[in-house]
Amino acid sequence: MAEVAVRAPRTAERTAVWAAAALLVCVAAAVRLGGGSPAAQSFLLVFGSLLIEAVPFILLGALVSAGIEVFVPQGWFDRLARLPGPLQLPASGLAGMAFPVCECGSVPVARRLAARGLAPAAATTFMLAAPILNPVVLLSTFFAYRGRASLWPILLGRAGLGLLAAMAVGWVVARHSPGEFVKQSAAPDHHDEASRAASFFGHLAGDFIFMGRYLVLGAAVAAALQTFLPQSILGGVAATPILNLIAMMGLAFLLSLCSESDAFVAASFVQFGPGAQLAFLVFGPMVDTKLAFLYAGTFRPGFFRTVVLVVGGVTLAGCLWIEVLFG
Amino acid sequence: MRRSAWGLTATLAAWALLFWWLLLSARWSLYLSTRTAWVVPVGAAILTIAAAGSVLVHRPAAPRDVRDLAVVVLPVVVVLALPPAALGSFAAGRRSSFAGANVAGSAEGLTDGTISLVDLAGAQQTPEGRRALAAHAGERVTFTGFVTRGPSTPADEFDLTRFIVACCVADALSVQVRVVGTVPGRFETDAWVRVTGLLYPLGSQAVVQAERVDEIPRPDDPYLTP
Repeated sequence: MAEVAVRAPRTAERTAVWAAAALLVCVAAAVRLGGGSPAAQSFLLVFGSLLIEAVPFILLGALVSAGIEVFVPQGWFDRLARLPGPLQLPASGLAGMAFPVCECGSVPVARRLAARGLAPAAATTFMLAAPILNPVVLLSTFFAYRGRASLWPILLGRAGLGLLAAMAVGWVVARHSPGEFVKQSAAPDHHDEASRAASFFGHLAGDFIFMGRYLVLGAAVAAALQTFLPQSILGGVAATPILNLIAMMGLAFLLSLCSESDAFVAASFVQFGPGAQLAFLVFGPMVDTKLAFLYAGTFRPGFFRTVVLVVGGVTLAGCLWIEVLFG
Repeated sequence: MRRSAWGLTATLAAWALLFWWLLLSARWSLYLSTRTAWVVPVGAAILTIAAAGSVLVHRPAAPRDVRDLAVVVLPVVVVLALPPAALGSFAAGRRSSFAGANVAGSAEGLTDGTISLVDLAGAQQTPEGRRALAAHAGERVTFTGFVTRGPSTPADEFDLTRFIVACCVADALSVQVRVVGTVPGRFETDAWVRVTGLLYPLGSQAVVQAERVDEIPRPDDPYLTP
């Protein structure tokens, strides 16, 4: 009887493996035969490039996340949780300056921080602020706008509005019960010395696969939008107040660019003023197509809606001021 | 008996294999800019360590895990199966053109004697840059790119196009110059060419009066870096 119980899952596993292998062979054949058409080629190149660039960052995020899980003592998180409430959000946001990876890497880290007992508000503030405030992103923004009158409004506006938007989301999250936004993770493991390495690699591989599947879906959607939606359709609204900001935020959502390179693309939209370009640079690293999939795996559906509304509101208000002052 | 998580190991090993292959075959240059090329060796090393370490993990796989692993392995199969190609005229018609990123650096580039497509595109975006460029009118230049044509392009002209990539091809921006005085019908759309001729800047555009146009194989480095 027990032998039958063991054999059934193994048979199901074997069937799933064969089905997956057959699917992958079919995909390889389809790419080989159909990959020569210009549209398919363009789609597959963008799809591949998004993943080749993002996977090392996801893995670095998973590495940090596994390190937090296995090597950081619980006492550290307890001490962080005892920080005075008003200090927690700005401290979490500014902590992003010390984590030089783009948005893909910060999601697994925030997920692990929340699982280890850090307040979800602080973890989400860190997650949203890190892709904008980290030094690599600020430096690339500086180089993209170097020599332009809008350099400092864009650079300081990006850092300031990014931090403000991240803290605003954190503030909203803090006003709800922890389970309302963050999905329940497995309880932290207890590690003896012998199992520590196995546990570290288990978390590393687990986080990579968990984030990887959402990243693949997000990259596929972003690549399809990049391939089939001409970017020139935005030109008509460049001079229309408010609509120009919303259009650039929408474009940032669709393109799903890495925050370390998006400033070069934003700078190329010269028909749009600095306010609209700033909207692209603040909104994109917090809300885009691939992040929508990554958030779906980590948070409950209400979280994405909250991020869109709060980040969108803060970005719109801040960028309108930039338009008025520097436009 | 506890069973090893062979699926995790195989998935990580597949990604590690892809990164090593990209590195050794130099195919990374079809996806990334030279500025972000470092992610390939770093990714290959971390993925290899992660794959080796995952042998220590013991976790039985459920059919649902197998589906997740297949989704994650799918891009590996896609990239390995895709014939080598770079973004071409189809993408040029849908993406934004390079206009102003790193302007100061590009205008400075005009003073070092050789005008590149990046220098040209950057200089065209500001009045100072255009003035600096006008001083080079009639100068002999050599540009490499692929052929694109619009519906109204005369038969003896084409646009020489190249993509400028800051991180990966998702952020590619096109730069174009009009090449005039070529042999009608000789160069097909998407053919890679090296054009030598005299440069004539015209406001925010530029024309090259062709003296010599040679069809060449796609360069190892098809994208420019700003």
